[in-house]
Amino acid sequence: MKRIVCLLAALGLVLCLNACGKTAQETPEEKTEITVFAAASMTETLQEIKTRYEAEHQDVELVFTFDSSGTLKTQIMEGAVCDLFISAAPKQMNELEEAGLLAQDSRIDLLENKVALCLAPEGGAAIASFDDLAQALAGGEILFAMGNADVPVGQYTQKIFAYYGIDEAAVSGSITYGSNVKEVVTAIVEGTADCGVIYATDAAAANLTPVDTATAEMCGQVIYPAAVLAAAPQGAAARAFLDYLATAPAAEVFTAAGFTALG
Amino acid sequence: MDWYPLLNSLRVAAIASVAVFFTGIAAAHYIARLPRAVKGVLDVALTLPLVLPPTVVGFLLLRLLGPRHPLSSWVWDTFGVRLTMQWWSAVFAVAVVVFPLMYRTARGAFESFDERLAQAARTLGRSNTYVFWRIRMPCCRQGLIAGAVLSFARAIGEYGATSMVAGYTPGKTATVATEVYQLWRIGDNETAIRWVAVNIAISAVVLLAVNLLEKRERNR
Repeated sequence: MKRIVCLLAALGLVLCLNACGKTAQETPEEKTEITVFAAASMTETLQEIKTRYEAEHQDVELVFTFDSSGTLKTQIMEGAVCDLFISAAPKQMNELEEAGLLAQDSRIDLLENKVALCLAPEGGAAIASFDDLAQALAGGEILFAMGNADVPVGQYTQKIFAYYGIDEAAVSGSITYGSNVKEVVTAIVEGTADCGVIYATDAAAANLTPVDTATAEMCGQVIYPAAVLAAAPQGAAARAFLDYLATAPAAEVFTAAGFTALG
Repeated sequence: MDWYPLLNSLRVAAIASVAVFFTGIAAAHYIARLPRAVKGVLDVALTLPLVLPPTVVGFLLLRLLGPRHPLSSWVWDTFGVRLTMQWWSAVFAVAVVVFPLMYRTARGAFESFDERLAQAARTLGRSNTYVFWRIRMPCCRQGLIAGAVLSFARAIGEYGATSMVAGYTPGKTATVATEVYQLWRIGDNETAIRWVAVNIAISAVVLLAVNLLEKRERNR
């Protein structure tokens, strides 16, 4: 009896694994795989562009890794395989450029975004602008979510702090740090933090209404540079995709999400 | 160096270990008596956090303790207290992740206990409570203490669920594990290495204690 049960279980397992294999069946031809490392805030837009691009270019497959630009930059510097890098701030791209890791003449400024202050839905925190935030933080009554010092949105937040003369270390008891912008978005949406600073595009994607948007004076312009890596295994295909990102159809997707297309 | 993460880690681990010590033993004791089918199901359910990735555990805990969910709203309305993002939120996460360790060790200890001792005691007129505290527990002492120490060691090292439920607020909810992650992320490798050394030292001491306990029992 036991042997029959064991045999049936093994058979069942083999059938399941076979079924899994079948659903991931690829077409017989070799597809060019382009590895793209992109800032977490581009998740939704790039996924949409991927569908369109792959429909028009049947021989290309786009593989995305979305995370904080700081994390991605570190991974690239430590030798991760990557064809195209899109950062949420010039800082990370500059560091790669100084390290000589970018392909010649491939860097462009692709997008502009805005940094926004959002409150947790059903939260009840009495904050209507960045000015109020400064006061609330000093008073220690709220929990504020932001990216850490390695995350571009965290770096923009630090510039806003500098603009208002807020000492981050002094109010750190009221701050919870996320390791990428999507973590901060989750903290706000779930209500585990009272408010936080994220990108306007992330706010739109998460159905949050920002109470205030940062001006260029507060945190500088939020520019997203993009570049092909010097060690890219699929350099030519990556350049082609980057050119596509600067064209009108891609710009349409970005603008609909709240970015400003610069390409 | 700011020592708060160490104090917080030790505090959270100690509280979680104590909570898990009693609940694990209670669960092991009562579940052993249940009919086979129920015992099997409960056993799997209670051991699950051991094999689930801590991020999965963290996700489920947020469904339970997160501000937009029923339990947390009730606590907020009744006591005005938020369940997540406090230093003690980590206790929930750590206790859930560490519970299976204590439970399984206690079960193992109880199962290797000679039932005849308990039966002999009852024939001599001793109550169930007496049998449990004065006969069963002392005989299983080695296994239970080993379980407690292992739980504590694991509790100090909890990261995934803790970071999701308690977040990272320096000076409030930072633990050694979340501190090392943040330091690595912002590139402060020097301080991160110091914390790594501290953590290794503590874990080594704890495991040494387990080995010494075992040795002493064997030489009894």
